[in-house]
Amino acid sequence: MRPLLALLLFLSLALAQTPTGEPPPDLSPEVFKIASQLRCPVCQGESAAESNAGVSQEMRRQIAEMLKEGKSEEAIRDYFVQRYGEWILYAPPRRGVNWLLWLAPAIGLGLLGLGLWRYLAEARRREAELALGEEELRALEHRLEEE
Amino acid sequence: MTPGLLGNLALAFGFVFTALGLALAGFAWWAKDGRYVEAAKRAALFSLLAALLAFGALEWALLTDDFSIVYTVKNHSTKSPLWVKFATLWAALEGSILLWATFQALYTFLAARRMRDYWMAPAALGTLFGIQLFFFGVMLFVANPFTPVPNPPADGPGPNPLLQNHWMMAVHPVLMYLGFVGMSVPFAYAVAAMLARRYQSWVATTRWWTLVAFGFLTAAIFAGGWWSYEVLGWGGYWGWDPVENASFIPWLLLAAFLHTAMVQERRGFFKTWNFAYITLAFSATVFGTFLTRSGVIQSVHAFVEGAVGPVFLGFLLLVLAVGFGLLSRVAGEVRDVGGMGLLSREGLLLGGSLVFATMAFVVVLGTLFPLIVEATTGDKVSVGAPFFNTAFAPLGAALLLLMGAGPLVPWGRVDAYAARALAVMASALVLGAAASLFLGATFGVALGVGLFCYNLASVYYQAAKGARVWRAKAGGALAGLLAYLVRARRQAGAQLVHLGVALAALAIVFSQAYRSDVQKTLEVGQSASLAGVEVKLLRLSAFDQGFRFAVEATARVQGAGVLRPQLRYYPTMNSPLAAPAVHYGLYNDDYLILQAFDTEHAQWATLRMVRTPLVLWLWIAGGILLLGVLYIAIPERRRAPAGEGVTA
Amino acid sequence: MRRLFYLLIVAVLGGLFWWGLHRNPGELKSVLIGRPAPDFELPLLPPYRQAWGERFRLADHLGKTPIVLNFWASWCYPACYQEAPVLQAAWEAYRDRVLFFGVNNQDKTEAALKFIDRFGLTFPQGYDPRGKVGIDYGMYGVPETFFIDRKGKVRYRHAGAIDAATLKAKLAEVLR
Repeated sequence: MRPLLALLLFLSLALAQTPTGEPPPDLSPEVFKIASQLRCPVCQGESAAESNAGVSQEMRRQIAEMLKEGKSEEAIRDYFVQRYGEWILYAPPRRGVNWLLWLAPAIGLGLLGLGLWRYLAEARRREAELALGEEELRALEHRLEEE
Repeated sequence: MTPGLLGNLALAFGFVFTALGLALAGFAWWAKDGRYVEAAKRAALFSLLAALLAFGALEWALLTDDFSIVYTVKNHSTKSPLWVKFATLWAALEGSILLWATFQALYTFLAARRMRDYWMAPAALGTLFGIQLFFFGVMLFVANPFTPVPNPPADGPGPNPLLQNHWMMAVHPVLMYLGFVGMSVPFAYAVAAMLARRYQSWVATTRWWTLVAFGFLTAAIFAGGWWSYEVLGWGGYWGWDPVENASFIPWLLLAAFLHTAMVQERRGFFKTWNFAYITLAFSATVFGTFLTRSGVIQSVHAFVEGAVGPVFLGFLLLVLAVGFGLLSRVAGEVRDVGGMGLLSREGLLLGGSLVFATMAFVVVLGTLFPLIVEATTGDKVSVGAPFFNTAFAPLGAALLLLMGAGPLVPWGRVDAYAARALAVMASALVLGAAASLFLGATFGVALGVGLFCYNLASVYYQAAKGARVWRAKAGGALAGLLAYLVRARRQAGAQLVHLGVALAALAIVFSQAYRSDVQKTLEVGQSASLAGVEVKLLRLSAFDQGFRFAVEATARVQGAGVLRPQLRYYPTMNSPLAAPAVHYGLYNDDYLILQAFDTEHAQWATLRMVRTPLVLWLWIAGGILLLGVLYIAIPERRRAPAGEGVTA
Repeated sequence: MRRLFYLLIVAVLGGLFWWGLHRNPGELKSVLIGRPAPDFELPLLPPYRQAWGERFRLADHLGKTPIVLNFWASWCYPACYQEAPVLQAAWEAYRDRVLFFGVNNQDKTEAALKFIDRFGLTFPQGYDPRGKVGIDYGMYGVPETFFIDRKGKVRYRHAGAIDAATLKAKLAEVLR
C-alpha cells in the first residue's frame, strides 16, 4: 500500500473525489432510477445517474436522503425543478409547446401518411385516366428508360 | 522534408486534383463527351494518392513524436501507447476531417471505377468531387492539421482521455466515417439521376453502395454502443445523446430507403420518395458532422471549434438547397401510375419505411427541440432518454409487427399461405404476451416478448416458404432449405437482418426494464449483497502506467469470478475516469464500477454494481444484423458492374 | 410554390443554427431571478472565524445590504483563479456598501486555504464540502456569482469567471 499512498499524496490536489474523506453514501436502485430522469447540471448530455461529477454525486445523495424521509418520486423531481427549472428534467413536462414534442410520433406518422395517401390517390387517378393495362404501361416505361 | 511540409503539399495536390476532377466532370456534362469522364477518373486516382500521402504525413508526425505541426502539439503525447498514437489521427477535429477526406477520396475512386454509364457518370462524379473539394478546402483554409508551429515543444497533452480509455475508440470512428462517407455515393447517383432525368434505374445501381454505407453505419452504431457500455461507467449502451442521435438519423433514413427502394425496383412506385430519402440521409450525415463540430447543441462527444461550425453549416445548407431544388423538379415531373393495396408486400414495405421515417423525424425533432424552444421562447428545456424511450416504444412495436408480416405476404395481395402464417404468428404474439403477464412481467415487457415470439414464428415460416419454393429444383425439403439459404441471398440475408432486429429489440426491452443499480461502500475483506449478488472486496492496489495512474479494486463477484474495476487518473483531467469491469453472462451482465476509495488508508472502496439482463444478446444481435447485411452485399456472381437489379 | 416551400425549410433551419452558433453560452437565466435568495448556514473557514464567528447564516444579512455570493473551488482552474483577484479588488472597494461571501464548493479544506492564501481573500468564506448550497442555488458549475439586492432578492446570476466590468455594472445595479 505504500506506493499507493505516496502517489495519492502527490495527486491529492487534483482529485475532487470525496473531499470530506468520508465514503459516498450507499444508494438503492430507486435512487438511480430517479437520478436518470434528471440532467447533470455541469455535464454535457449526461444524466445525474450516469455522471460522476461532484454535483451529480451530491444530487444522488440528496435523492437518497429524501427517499429516506419518505418523499415521493414526484416531490423529489419538484425539488430539483424549483432550483434548476424544468431544464433539469430529461422528459419535458407534457404541457404548452412541449406537446409538439410529445406528439412528434403522431405528427410524423400523420404527415407522412397524408403525403402517402395523396400520392397513392393521384397514382390511382392517373391509372384510371390513362386506362391502359399494366402490361402496356410497363412496356412503355421500359422504352422510356432505354432512351 | 518534414511531415508538415509533406502534409501541406499533399493537401494542396489533393485540392488541385479534386478541383480538376470537378472541372473535367463539368466538361463531360456540358460537352457530352465520355473522354472527359475517363480523365476525371484519373483525377480521382491522383486525389486519392494525395489524400493517402497527407494521411501518411500526419501518421509520420504522430509516430515519430514530431511536434512541429499544430495537430501534434495540441493532441499528441510521447507517453501514449503505440495504438493510441496511431489513432490520435482521428481523435480531434482536424485529423478527423483528414480521415474523412481520405475516405471520401477512396469512395470517389472506387465509385468512379464502376461508372460506365456516360449519361450519369459526369453528374455523379461531379457531385463526389464537389463533396471532396469541400473537405480538402476545409483542411487547407479552416482547420489545417499541418500548420507549422514556430517553437516546437518537447511533449504535448495527448488526446482526450475518454478516447484513450478503450481500444474500441480506434475502431468506432473509422466505421462511422466509412458509413457517413459511404452515403455520398448513393447521394451522388441520386443527384445524377435527378439531373439526367433517369428516375428508375439508379435505385438498382446504388443498391450495393447503399448496403455498404448501411453496413458500416450499423457496425459503427453497435460498436459505439459497446464502447459506451465498456467505458462510460454507468452500465448503459445508448444515451440518446445528440451525437449518438446524429449517427442514428442517417441509419433510420437509409433503412427507410432500403425498403421503399425494393418497391421502386419491382413496381416503379415512390420515385420521388426515394430521392427524398437519399437526399435527407446524406444531409443527415452532414448535419451530424455539423452538430458534433459546432457545439450548437451540447453533447459529451462534441469537439467544439470556432470557424468550423459556420463552414459546415454553409455546406449543410448548400446540400439541402441543391437536394430540395432537384427534388421539387422531380416531384413536378414524376407521374407514377397504378394502384396498390396496403395488405401486400409493397404496402407492408411502405409501412415499414414510413415508421422508419417517423422515427427519424422524432429523433431530429427531439434533438433540435431544445434549440427551437430556446430560439422562440427563450426557455431552456432538455430532451433525453426518458422522452425518446417513451416515444420509441409504440413506433418500435409497430415496426416489429410490420417486419414479421412483410416478407411473408406476396406482392399484390395476401395468399392462403401468408394468411395461415399470419394467424399462427398472431397466436404466438398473444401466447407469448399472456405467458409473460402470467409470470409477472409488465405490459411493456409482455408485449416485447410477444412480438419476439411473433417474429420467431415469422422466421420459421419464411424459411419454410423458401425451402418450398426451392424444393422442386433442389429435390428434397432439406436441400430446398439449403438452396434457399445459398441461392436466395437477398431474402435469406434480409431474414437474418430481421432476426437480428427482433433479438436486439428483446434485449433492449429486458435490459431497460430489469436493470438494477446499487452503490455500496465495502471495507477491504468485507462482503455484502449488491443487487442480489454476493460481492467481496479483496484488495485495493495502484499502478503508475506513465501516461496515466490507475487505482484498482479487486472484488470477487458471485457467479462472475474476480472483477477488477479501475479509476484512472490522466494528467490533463482533474477528475478520474472510471474503467468498469464487466462479466458478460447469458442471462445477466455483472458490471462493477469503482466509484471512490479511501485515499488516506486504502481501507474501503465504494462500488457500484449494475446488473442488467440480456445485454450480451444485444451484441449478438448486432453481429447477426451485420452478417445479414454482409450476406446481401457480397456480390452473388460476376455480373456487369452497372449492376442490373437482381430480384430473386 | 413547392420550390418556395423547400426554400423556406432551408432558410428556417439555417437561421436556427446560425442563431445557435452565436448565442452566448455564459448567459444562463436562473429560476431564482426576482425571487428571495434561499437561506443557508455554513461553517466559516478558519481564517474568518475571528471576525465573523463560527458559522455564517445568510438570513442574518439578507435585506440589510446587497450581497454578492460567489461559488468557487480550488480545483476549478483556470476560471476561479482568474476571477479571484477581481473579486478581492471589488470587495476592497465596496466593503462598506456590499457584503461579499464566498462559498467554497466540494473542495478539500487544505486546498481551499491554500487558494485563499494565494489570492489574499479577505471577504468571508464558507465551507461547503458537499455542495448543498450550490444545488439550492441551481448552480451549473463553479465559478458562479449571484447578485442579491437590498431587499434580499436575487437580481442576476453570472456563470463562469466574472470580469471587473461586469462586476462593477452589476454592483451598480444592486446598489441602486
